[in-house]
Amino acid sequence: MQVFHDAATQVQCQSIMDWKQSGRPVVGYTCSYTPGEIFHAADILPVRLRGIETDGMEVGDTYFGPFICSFPKCILQLAGKGKFSFLDGAIITPGCDGMRRLDECWRKAGEDFKGIVPDYFYYFDVPHKSEDHGMSWYMDEINALIEGVERHFQVNITMDKISAAICEFNKGRRLLAEIEDLRAKDDVVVSGTDVFAATVAGTVMPREEYTEALTAWVAELKKQITSLSRGKKRVLLIGSVSDEIDLFQLIEDTGKAIIVGENLCFGIRYEGCEIPETGDPLSALASHYLGSSVCPRMYGKYKERLQLLKDRINHSKAEGVIMQNIRFCDLHGAENALFKRDLEAMGIPCLRVEREYGPHIDAGRMKLRINAFLERIDARKNPQRRRA
Amino acid sequence: MRPEIQEYHYDWLISGTLNTASRVPLGSPKETALTYRYVPYFQGILQSFVDVGPPGVQFLGLLARYYENILSAKDNGKKIVGTTFCSTPSILYAMDLVPATFEILTAIGSMTWKRGMFDYMDFCCELGMPETSCSAQRGALGTQLAGLAQSLDLIICDTPGVCDTNANAFAFASAYLDKPYFQLNYPSTLGDRRSQQYHVEDYKALIRFIETHTGKSLDYDRLAGHIREIDRQDMLTAEMEDMLLLKPTPIPPIFTLMIYAGRFCFSGHPEYTRLLEIMVETARERMKAGVPGLRSGEEKLRVVMCYIDHYTVDMNFYHYFEERGIALTGSILTRNFRDGNHYVADMPDSAYHIGISSPEAMLDTIAQMNARMPMVRSIRGPYDRPGMWLEESLACAKAYQADCIIYNGTPGCRNTWGMVKPFARDLEKQGYPVHIMYDDGFDDRVESWAATRERLDEFFHIRGLL
Repeated sequence: MQVFHDAATQVQCQSIMDWKQSGRPVVGYTCSYTPGEIFHAADILPVRLRGIETDGMEVGDTYFGPFICSFPKCILQLAGKGKFSFLDGAIITPGCDGMRRLDECWRKAGEDFKGIVPDYFYYFDVPHKSEDHGMSWYMDEINALIEGVERHFQVNITMDKISAAICEFNKGRRLLAEIEDLRAKDDVVVSGTDVFAATVAGTVMPREEYTEALTAWVAELKKQITSLSRGKKRVLLIGSVSDEIDLFQLIEDTGKAIIVGENLCFGIRYEGCEIPETGDPLSALASHYLGSSVCPRMYGKYKERLQLLKDRINHSKAEGVIMQNIRFCDLHGAENALFKRDLEAMGIPCLRVEREYGPHIDAGRMKLRINAFLERIDARKNPQRRRA
Repeated sequence: MRPEIQEYHYDWLISGTLNTASRVPLGSPKETALTYRYVPYFQGILQSFVDVGPPGVQFLGLLARYYENILSAKDNGKKIVGTTFCSTPSILYAMDLVPATFEILTAIGSMTWKRGMFDYMDFCCELGMPETSCSAQRGALGTQLAGLAQSLDLIICDTPGVCDTNANAFAFASAYLDKPYFQLNYPSTLGDRRSQQYHVEDYKALIRFIETHTGKSLDYDRLAGHIREIDRQDMLTAEMEDMLLLKPTPIPPIFTLMIYAGRFCFSGHPEYTRLLEIMVETARERMKAGVPGLRSGEEKLRVVMCYIDHYTVDMNFYHYFEERGIALTGSILTRNFRDGNHYVADMPDSAYHIGISSPEAMLDTIAQMNARMPMVRSIRGPYDRPGMWLEESLACAKAYQADCIIYNGTPGCRNTWGMVKPFARDLEKQGYPVHIMYDDGFDDRVESWAATRERLDEFFHIRGLL
């Protein structure tokens, strides 16, 4: 488990450094719509870019305007401070307005801070719809990405290698799905914090190393019999992008709740679904990454996402949902309001919180609201206590 | 929302106001002046247009008819489409639909009422929309969510990936009100064959969506008529653009607003053609008589607004330019990017052309034109790519001999706030002083107009421009 926590809480984690030491390239990417399998097929380590370990914002605030979410600002801050010096490439994706502008801000910061922009810097143009022409555009983008990677890194990415990469990634996905089933049991033997650490680790660790560690950990979990969920509220955590283990800890450290599932950009919602291993591998990647419509950036798909969320609530037997959005993240902020309206109408208690990404300076406020929310769930379950 | 606000149907209220306003100047000048006494709260906005003469009066009538169309849509068996200024309404008129353009409706309310659209903006937040979302949509959206506006039948937008906050407001409206939703989606590039093809495919999907929800097929003969009207409108606009090049220009600051507001309301509709004809006629007369567009008679400075204008009450933004002797040469909203315009000379791929020889040619025309509407044209990709915001702003600044460039938007404008600082720095490197306004173009509570005005004065003073 420690290897996952190390990978999830350190930008320059040991796994990445070991890979780098072996002389192989590392490419960072900003969004879950980037197929990591393509890089794996080229023996390049794909690393999801994160904003953890940020201790200031002077670089982020210099290039981004004031009304921008703190997540891309933190990534830029780390870039400006040389924390991503291990990157040989970076892929910027129009996940949302703030994230896509990381492209210009990072390049322009590179004019002032020499050497912070990786040699291979690529804008991966992911459409916002998955209908035929959207899918076709995305396929073209994948092909262009492959060509670009091949040319820059002098590698050969064959369809066989991509198929093999899909199989390797699927091993991890199947294991994560097994963990989801464990979390769905009445007696949950694993904390949400640990599961999330393991999931985030999967976005930065070399895949074979990750699969091996995850296999061992799942086997260990299956032997566990000590329930961590007795007497605790089962909650689901959803909303804006988060790779912050301490957000999970904040909730679980109340001692009154256990996170039995999440619907987050770094979470199992992406990493837990398998990709078909037969047929055209590029079509399979495109259908998976673009076609699943799990992010509010895919407008007009609210009903599908609501259904997905209901399925998760049912599967995990969650008693309440904590919805967080980073300030200026309008996509999740607005969608959380809709979720809250519709889930509360079904009798599922929801808590909406707006927060800043990064160091949890508002941990006290958050804790207070989370405690109040857990009491609300409690009162709902025990009407007598509510009357008292 | 305050109960007293909920007592009044917003669309009826503003429509009645505009209708009355458009009739005030029909009397004698003395009667008009007397009427001002009885409408103290509306005198500022009313006089702003009446003083412009026939174009202003025509424009008031145009706004009144825009609202009349919305109010009478149901009686006339027409569906109302909630849409955005980044998408041309001409296809909607061609398919017998009535557009209700959120940003236009919010701007009208903001400029007309001293209380602005604040109550409606805030109502969106009461229902859960983030207060950080764009005010441009929130005003009109609030009236919808509160049930104080004519109910929408369809929602169409085209800003995903270009302005997510904009697209998000329409997606929220669709989900909250349970209305059918369609989004046009633009790639990050413009002018290349691949993106041009994408525009057409996406537009075909839009037409299929409309046909499905209205039960009516697109009549290409009717569409041809609307495109011919657009051709005429573009020609008239181009003539005004030519006059904007003159130094001093005979075009008053308020004309730049009327050019784009008219287009957003009635593109491809004779209503807009009539407005443009009157505007061109007035501008020609001024030009021939050597009368500058500024009432002061002296053009001290020329400004390009690289984004949007400021829609504070009583048209104060435009009056400010008049008072200071500054020629406003337009904004990102004013330019239509029709081929042949001087500002696209160095950006031919950014322009659209008109063809009506076949249904395919018409589809291509309307799809490419729509892809060149404000924002979706040049904010769609990284700002320093060919044809994008930097190149466009520099081309306009050069063409219109601007002395400086001013950015104004809203705090909800994530797509520009994400890079406006390095963008401004790049413009400065090209020799243009740049001022970034930190207000909200639709919400004076963010920064009062008095403070905005002070900051503009400070900029002009410190940079030695005035």
